[in-house]
Amino acid sequence: MIQRRISLIILAWNRWDLTRICLESLRATDLGDAEVLVVDNHSTDETPERLAEIPWVRTLRLPKNLGFVRGNNAGIAAADPSSDVVLLNNDLIFTQRDWLRRLAACAHAAPDVGVVGCRLTLPDGRLLHAGTYILPDTVWGQQVGSLESEIGQYLRTREVEGIVFACAYIKRETLQAIGGLALDFESYFEDTDYCLRARQAGLKTVLCGEVTLVHDEHGSTGDDAGALMKLFQGSRQTFRKKWGTALRRRYRHELLWQSIMNFPMGYAMSCRELLRALDQQGVWTVYRYVYGPGTVFPPLEPEQSGDYRLNVLRSRPKSFWPKAAVVYGQGDVFRRNRGRYKIGYTMLEVDGFPAEWVRQANRMDEIWVPSEFNRQGFLRSGLRRPIHVMPLGVDIDHFHPAIKSHPNPAGEFVFLSLFEWGERKEPKLLLRAFNEVFSSEEPVRLLCKVINRDPSVHVKEEIRRLRLSQSGGKISYLFNLEFPHHQLGSLYRSADCFVAISRGEGWDMPLMEAMACGLPAIATDWGAHTEFVHPGIAYPLRSRRTVPAVARCPYYAGFSWADPDPDQLRHLLRHVYEHRDEARARGMAAAREMAARWTWGQAAQRIAGRLAAISA
Amino acid sequence: MPWAEAAGRDETEPEPILHPEEPQRTIERLAARVTALEAALEQRSREILLIQRLACKRDLVLISRIRAGLPPLPHGAYEPAFWHESTELAQADVKETLEDLWSSLVPLSAYSR
Repeated sequence: MIQRRISLIILAWNRWDLTRICLESLRATDLGDAEVLVVDNHSTDETPERLAEIPWVRTLRLPKNLGFVRGNNAGIAAADPSSDVVLLNNDLIFTQRDWLRRLAACAHAAPDVGVVGCRLTLPDGRLLHAGTYILPDTVWGQQVGSLESEIGQYLRTREVEGIVFACAYIKRETLQAIGGLALDFESYFEDTDYCLRARQAGLKTVLCGEVTLVHDEHGSTGDDAGALMKLFQGSRQTFRKKWGTALRRRYRHELLWQSIMNFPMGYAMSCRELLRALDQQGVWTVYRYVYGPGTVFPPLEPEQSGDYRLNVLRSRPKSFWPKAAVVYGQGDVFRRNRGRYKIGYTMLEVDGFPAEWVRQANRMDEIWVPSEFNRQGFLRSGLRRPIHVMPLGVDIDHFHPAIKSHPNPAGEFVFLSLFEWGERKEPKLLLRAFNEVFSSEEPVRLLCKVINRDPSVHVKEEIRRLRLSQSGGKISYLFNLEFPHHQLGSLYRSADCFVAISRGEGWDMPLMEAMACGLPAIATDWGAHTEFVHPGIAYPLRSRRTVPAVARCPYYAGFSWADPDPDQLRHLLRHVYEHRDEARARGMAAAREMAARWTWGQAAQRIAGRLAAISA
Repeated sequence: MPWAEAAGRDETEPEPILHPEEPQRTIERLAARVTALEAALEQRSREILLIQRLACKRDLVLISRIRAGLPPLPHGAYEPAFWHESTELAQADVKETLEDLWSSLVPLSAYSR
């Protein structure tokens, strides 16, 4: 790594109370030989006097308040001309001793890194910032991860579109290439503008996930909301003129995406992830709800998704009519595809597809499924159209082994299983096997997160009928609780082994998420998830044979699914419990493989590649 | 009702002073107190048996936990006997839920078996 001097530039305007905390916390960190330069933007409070009392700080007092951009540029101009600079807000609190060393290491990890930011949290502990993005439709910058509970998400270093300049490490090479902050802006948007200018010059902006600072947001710009909004809108207009066209040109493909996203179900969850990833991969996507009256799922979809990017995709003009259109959902809504080139994207948990799905699929131009398991099932069922395997993925920023856990303080080994109560997920087999294999005296517990939306099913009564032994393995339940998706990694990390012994899966996102978190997993060796489950990284549970898929789901009629082996399940539960080091190693191997092969970015890349082939 | 009150004595009443010249009177008075206490115990046993028959299991666990100096039963129910069967999903926080669950395990396992 290049050893280069660093100048820390802290812009301050009044609010000595914040500047004092900022400097005190900064002093307690490892600064090496870094220079600390406070740019006093002509404060009228006690700031000048107090700064004069601090010998380790160099002060540059400006003759008047020049605003954020000119104030920072004055600091850059006053800094050691050979140094890298770090622009810092005076409302930061430094809680990580080695923050500067780590930022510098990120900056000099590759020659094409130009700007480095870090994670920011609010004083109350919630995540505030893990990078930014901006959409050409609205030109309103958004912070990644903002206001999520802090669980250790976004800990890896990754390229981002932009960062907020509350903390920005700028390499000297970047300053030499593009200079300081653009004078087109007084405040707001200058940070995104800078990152885009750096990118134009071939220099990346990265978010160093190893560094987290606390940001008491807006402490240094005053509280006059009206003045701030005026400043914001002025800068926004300037930014739109400067970058609007370039932002739109980043998109290389166009796609109409008809699906479901604002309901708590599997297609919706994966739809949201795919849409986000497609946008980041340069696919200009318009979203339309595919279900509703006249379909198997008649409710109208709520408009708000709770995600800014997804709301924008949903609000894009209805006049937009791209060539390619995907219906992502059950095969009996393929008929709603409104594209010129029609793609049906679906999955199913059994070994074939219903005749109506196949009939509608044969009217598509092509079919996508996430697994070879489903590709074979479709072909067996009479599909005559081209079919491509388009695997789904996992969010490795929210599901990784360093996510915060809340382990059982009693030290029990915890098996975790998530399922909707019903025939397919085989809860009775799991409960019985666990209860038989272990005794209540052993420090081990099965934690089941159970969902039941069917009023004709009485879960409590069904469990009672199992007559589980009081002296057998202990089981706890989280019944009909809905956690924010971004927190689920914490649930997985609080367990020691994940168990997914269903009779069939169309993909199984929870299993993939748990594996990405580094959990060893016991999973039935049959179904779509065999795409990513194998003995090197998990504990496949053999199926004795396939049996008729008897369930209330009409789509399964006439097809078969797995019959998980109860004897081997009992053996695997005991084996994992007694071979914890081996299991841990297998879980970590799973995490590495998920991150290397199965990200949503890779899933979107495959789709973008297919769109390119279609349009060629 | 406090035990002492049921036995016909105020809790703040000072201990009686025994006079060696009146042993028979002291014995009679103590025997009367023992009889009163036995009657109070029998009455309380009948009340507890009645409560056990009529009160739900969750309430009994709650009372037992509180009397044992433990936190009340957690908000969520983690054993089927205690949950309310519904098809509605309840919003929850992972950290709060797990901390709640773990804190509930030791006394629950003792009472529910």
